[in-house]
Amino acid sequence: MVKTKKEHIPFWRIANNIFTYLILIIGVIIAVFPFFWMISTSLMSLGEAQGTRLIPSQIHFENYVEAWKEADFSLYLWNSVRITLITLVGQMTFSILAAYAFARMKFPGRDLIFGIMLSTMMIPGMVLIIPNFLTVTWLGRIGPLKWINNWPALTIPFMGSIFSIFLLRQFFAQIPDELFDAAQIDGAGHFRFLLTVVMPLSRAPLMVIIVLSFIGSWNALAWPMLVTNSPDWRPIAVGLLAFIDEAGQMINYMMAGAFITIIPILILYFFTQKQFTESIARSGMKG
Amino acid sequence: MEKPEISTKTQKNPFKWLTPRRLRIFREYSTAYLMIAPSTILVFLFGIFPVGFALFVSVHKWRLKRGNFVGLKNYVGAVGDIAYLGVFILGIAALVFAFLQFKRVYRQLNEKPQHFWFLLFPSFLQGAATLAFIRWTIILLPNILDIADKIRGVEKTRQLFMQLIREAFTAENILPARAQMLWLITAGLVAGLIVFFKWRNPDNLQHQAEIALSWITFGIGIVLLLFAYQEVMTAYQSAAESGSDPGIIPQLVNISGGVILLFIGWKIWQKAPQASTNRTFFLRIAGAFIFIVGGWLMIGEIPLILSSGDKDLWQGLKVTLFYALGTIPFQLSISLFLAILLFQNLKGSSFFRIMFFMPYVTPTVASAAVFRQLFSNRLQAPVNALLRVFGFEPLKWLWEPKGIFTLIADKMGLTNFPDWAAGPSLALVVIIIFSIWVFVGYDTVIYMAGLGNIPTELSEAAEVDGANKWDIFRFITFPLLSPTTYFLTLIAVIGTFKAFNHIWVMRLPASLETADTFSVVIFTEFFEKLRYGYASALAFVLFAIILSLTYINNKVQGSKVFYG
Repeated sequence: MVKTKKEHIPFWRIANNIFTYLILIIGVIIAVFPFFWMISTSLMSLGEAQGTRLIPSQIHFENYVEAWKEADFSLYLWNSVRITLITLVGQMTFSILAAYAFARMKFPGRDLIFGIMLSTMMIPGMVLIIPNFLTVTWLGRIGPLKWINNWPALTIPFMGSIFSIFLLRQFFAQIPDELFDAAQIDGAGHFRFLLTVVMPLSRAPLMVIIVLSFIGSWNALAWPMLVTNSPDWRPIAVGLLAFIDEAGQMINYMMAGAFITIIPILILYFFTQKQFTESIARSGMKG
Repeated sequence: MEKPEISTKTQKNPFKWLTPRRLRIFREYSTAYLMIAPSTILVFLFGIFPVGFALFVSVHKWRLKRGNFVGLKNYVGAVGDIAYLGVFILGIAALVFAFLQFKRVYRQLNEKPQHFWFLLFPSFLQGAATLAFIRWTIILLPNILDIADKIRGVEKTRQLFMQLIREAFTAENILPARAQMLWLITAGLVAGLIVFFKWRNPDNLQHQAEIALSWITFGIGIVLLLFAYQEVMTAYQSAAESGSDPGIIPQLVNISGGVILLFIGWKIWQKAPQASTNRTFFLRIAGAFIFIVGGWLMIGEIPLILSSGDKDLWQGLKVTLFYALGTIPFQLSISLFLAILLFQNLKGSSFFRIMFFMPYVTPTVASAAVFRQLFSNRLQAPVNALLRVFGFEPLKWLWEPKGIFTLIADKMGLTNFPDWAAGPSLALVVIIIFSIWVFVGYDTVIYMAGLGNIPTELSEAAEVDGANKWDIFRFITFPLLSPTTYFLTLIAVIGTFKAFNHIWVMRLPASLETADTFSVVIFTEFFEKLRYGYASALAFVLFAIILSLTYINNKVQGSKVFYG
């Protein structure tokens, strides 16, 4: 009995594997075809791009030059990068400090404040976007700092991130108390302990925050659309959308622009593939 | 080294209570508060305050600039007369909640009930002080907002700004509210201190805070009820002027009566199995049935009232529902299938995972732009070209406002296909396909993590017992995956209401707004039509829907999800 079963297994396994691979390959084709079509169309002449060809007969790299010239992608990319960096610096500093206090210090009202802050994650963005726009306009009008069409409106509202505080707090709380006691005996206070012990240990959650921040600002559309009205600080998603609407029938330029937008994120993805997947899987965010 | 120094200092210190221990605690507290200050201020300014601000905006006529106070008009415009009922129910709910809180604290203090009665008064003062503070901010807010207009065209100087701020705080319209607030705060503090020094028990402070919170809820309930009453009265007045009967009160009575009947029926239904004899059991079931049918008949009016609301809103909700029904089941089943295939430890499974995940990481505007071309209405566009290869007629895809079932019926030669059965428009179907394409990779990764958590012993044991693969999946894998499925469904449902970027890119004028989900409707009201007040009211309707969905989800999680 057992023997006959064993003889059958290889055949079934092969059939099963072929079937599995077939489905997976079809899946990959569906997942990747839009990318393939985008890249290949971006290299075609206009006539070919509007036809039904899948592969360009002659490679037109100049599409990229044209798209780049027409929409000033270098400015948009640079804007997105600097918006991300400013946000990240502020968000990381503030979140690390707050998360440390919430995780490792005792003070009256700690759980209440943290609970209130956590409950704000439930509020849909559409409720916040209108009053925040009014607040930001107001701040820009009364203060010396220009907010609309400038970095403050694009970065400062995102510096207080409950998600980062929550993530870091969970991580900081796991650090054993003995480490802190030892540091205290050595004469280190909270700040020294935070800088020399906690920070080096928490590279993983910080990486998560960095990755999510990059994706977030590459995707940001509604808010930047509201608070920018010239290309000076317009981030890449808004810039690309404007370019697409202007390009009309120039599909090859459009696809070149789309590919330019995707490249930085894809590079980040393929190099930090594992952390990338994990960070997003952990964050539970959607579009 | 440090310790002796501090102790000598405190010995000379006239403030005897400032012992080194207290000093250290004080230092620890202030450091902690300083550390959380920046984040807390930012979260408050851009995450909590805006909710109140949005409420404020939503009860005004507000087009670019603030107009008059209009009460519930925006909400009535959005959902019809149900808006009155909503405020009424919120008020009742606040009262009930306050009552339950009082009862809970009373139970906690059951050893010394006199403390409860003694605490009631100081916490009343504190609660009233908080409400007075809220009232003061609401009256102050317009003054502060107006500063921006006053400063326009004038050179911005610090002096001018300080002067305007001072004017805003001392304007005549807020002085009474300020006096009231200051008196109540002082009285509340004094009363609180008296209680504190009488018992010197930190527990009492907490009880006091809890009772104060109940008083605040109570006050909010009263305010909401008064507001609802006032709004209904104004509606009646304006209707009387035009000589018509708005019929709001009968509606309210009917619907709330219906809800109460439903509730009673449900309670009886739940208690029926406890009946001692068959007769009482059937009597209870019958009673529950009568109550439930009566309740349904009484709330049967709701759709009629709702239909007097905004057409765009119902269209948006319908689109959102189609979008959710079109994406979530497909997305989850495809990704579960892929995850199980990938989980067999095949060669190259990480390659497949990376590829499946790629659509999810791609910036949405770029991938949506690609889909806009793939599903273009041009004859040579890739999808149409594919259709023509197989001998089908090309379609208009994102340019098509007609419902998908109508299109199919047309193909089959059916005429006069009813409008209500039209289904999602073809444009929306493309957006649904796009969403599935994007989120399958994400769901697969999460499902694989879930599969990894299932102990292999179970399926091995089942295999020994002669279970086949389908049985193992049906009776072991799938039930044990239910937390993952629940999590993904919750994320997907919330995501459906948040979905914006890809729809914004793929909605074309030709599709006649048949692809606008609720968030897109709100955003167009705000961004294109500049109706800030109305858009805020819509946003709160959305908020209410999301809250109730989360509540239902939690209930379902309690009963259906199996945590191994």
